[in-house]
Amino acid sequence: MKHTTMTLCAAMLLTLAVPVQAAGDPQAGRQKNSMCAGCHGIPGWRTAYPGVYSVPKLGGQHAEYIVAALQAYKSGERSHPSMKGIAGSLSDQDMEDLAAYYASSYSGPAK
Amino acid sequence: MKQSAIIFSILALGFSLQVHAKSGNAEAGKAKSATCAACHGETGVSTTPSFPNLAGQYSDYLYQALKDYKSGKRKNAIMAGQVQNLSDQDMADLAAYFSKLKGLSIKY
Repeated sequence: MKHTTMTLCAAMLLTLAVPVQAAGDPQAGRQKNSMCAGCHGIPGWRTAYPGVYSVPKLGGQHAEYIVAALQAYKSGERSHPSMKGIAGSLSDQDMEDLAAYYASSYSGPAK
Repeated sequence: MKQSAIIFSILALGFSLQVHAKSGNAEAGKAKSATCAACHGETGVSTTPSFPNLAGQYSDYLYQALKDYKSGKRKNAIMAGQVQNLSDQDMADLAAYFSKLKGLSIKY
């Protein structure tokens, strides 16, 4: 009995100690997207370097995919000069928040 | 005068090449899309969140992504294999097809 209690307590403490990556918050993401909107928020906007093509639409994209893309830009695995610079300035939480914003239907005002 | 005619010809050639490279046929793309649908969904909306939705995405972006996977500029183990046997026309057709489906939107 005592053993079980000890084990349970230890397990609970361990859970608390592991840093929890909070899920993305669309409202927080809305406050952080000024760097994104200048290109991704303009219909038909194109990137000019290194190639010319439309900047992808993000509205309704899966959050998990957006986070993976941002992480890949940050690590250099995916290359695009502007995106590498921007993603490099984002924390994991920023990425989660931005991804949650674009994936969600929330479109409140930026404060 | 002659010089401006030459410049005009070069510009015209440039535009025609660009258009040629990117004009895909959505109907033809649909016929080639069965493999894509397995992961990206039959309507271009995937059920697995790690696979991006393609429906409604800009066709020139999709085309560029496929080309970059094929050239190796963009690296993804799954996509590298998928694009191996796609021709330039296949990529343009697929891009045209998925861009016409209803899905993604521009969000400010």
